Amino acid sequence: MTEIHDHSGPPPDDLLAAEYALGVLTGVERAAVERRIAQEAEFAQLVADWEQRLAPWAGEVAEVAPPPAVWETIATKLPAQQQERGGFWQKIAGNWRNFALAAALAAACVGAFFYEGSLHRNPPLVAAIEASGNRSFVATIDTRKNTVTVVPAAFTGDATRVPELWLIPAGGKPIAVGLVDGERTVVLPMPATLMAQAKLGATLAVSLEPPGGSPTGAPTGPVIGAGKLTSL
Amino acid sequence: MDLDANRELIAAALKRVPAGDRAALQTVYRLTSAKLFGVALRILGERGEAEDVLLVLYMTFGRWAADFDSDRARPMTGLIAIARNRAIDRLRASKVSRRMEPIENAAEVADPLPSADQTLAVAQDHVRLHGCLGELAGHERAALRGAFFDGNTYEELAARMNVPLGTMKSWIRRAMIKLKGCLES
Repeated sequence: MTEIHDHSGPPPDDLLAAEYALGVLTGVERAAVERRIAQEAEFAQLVADWEQRLAPWAGEVAEVAPPPAVWETIATKLPAQQQERGGFWQKIAGNWRNFALAAALAAACVGAFFYEGSLHRNPPLVAAIEASGNRSFVATIDTRKNTVTVVPAAFTGDATRVPELWLIPAGGKPIAVGLVDGERTVVLPMPATLMAQAKLGATLAVSLEPPGGSPTGAPTGPVIGAGKLTSL
Repeated sequence: MDLDANRELIAAALKRVPAGDRAALQTVYRLTSAKLFGVALRILGERGEAEDVLLVLYMTFGRWAADFDSDRARPMTGLIAIARNRAIDRLRASKVSRRMEPIENAAEVADPLPSADQTLAVAQDHVRLHGCLGELAGHERAALRGAFFDGNTYEELAARMNVPLGTMKSWIRRAMIKLKGCLES
């Protein structure tokens, strides 16, 4: 590798990968790098190599047990079990879900008791956006900052359309929240009018829309997944 | 549990996660969540935010687990990278830098973690990285620490160490080139 004397231009790929892995880039720069990671296997490998080099440093960070409510929420939001497992398994899975839900509620009570110090004053609302067992995104609403963070899980894009997020109040019509991205985390602002509707039991959904978003203010394309908001 | 003490267990469980295996996900969670929570908490400095990072990480990593190649990489290495990246993304989105106190130039190299339950390979990686960090100049090491552990940007590091932005960029870039050379020698 050649020494860099001039840092006015963009750095060569290996240095850019190093900067990303180390974590010194701004949000906008990170977004550009994450797009390249998703699209260029060779560049993605450079980043992975740097992550591998630096990871042992995390050995210095003390382990901290997360509160039980975190696992309980993950468990209640597991996607439906695979279709090929057949009816019996699905029944079991259904029971498991009920059991897990009860366990989560119990844990939430216990958690409130034992983990008061760590509890959110305004717990986030979370929704797993999925259809027929395929989870495309996970969204969390920060009720303090009035933002929604949308992280892709397994969303496969469409060459001509973009994914758009909708908030659907219980019994209401979809309200546009904004465009999301299948390759990277997107944080969208939630104006007061939207926050007022973002309650337990409301649904978040993603539809495929023309670039720039739905021209009508209502979903025009296929809905690729939806999920109800629950609380951590 | 240290970085990779349970590498085989984690790798085996990861293979079963994409099929929606709850027990496998629970195994991965049990073996990895405390380290990942520690990493996210260190960067974000706030439990609630770190809990969100953890929640979303385990709710979205089916696809990552499907792509994961345990012959080529250590599972914990990849998970740490995801946790750090999610935490840093969140830090950038909140536009608040939480750790901005001045960094002393001559940051000490912490001793490699003298943990009894580390696997030999990980202990070796850790010692090797520390050896190479030890060869950097004090200011370079201090800058890298601020980025890795506190999630600081170039600009924030320049402010914390009271140098121009261009100087900070060349410190870090030069340090990363040296680090790579040392690790590969």
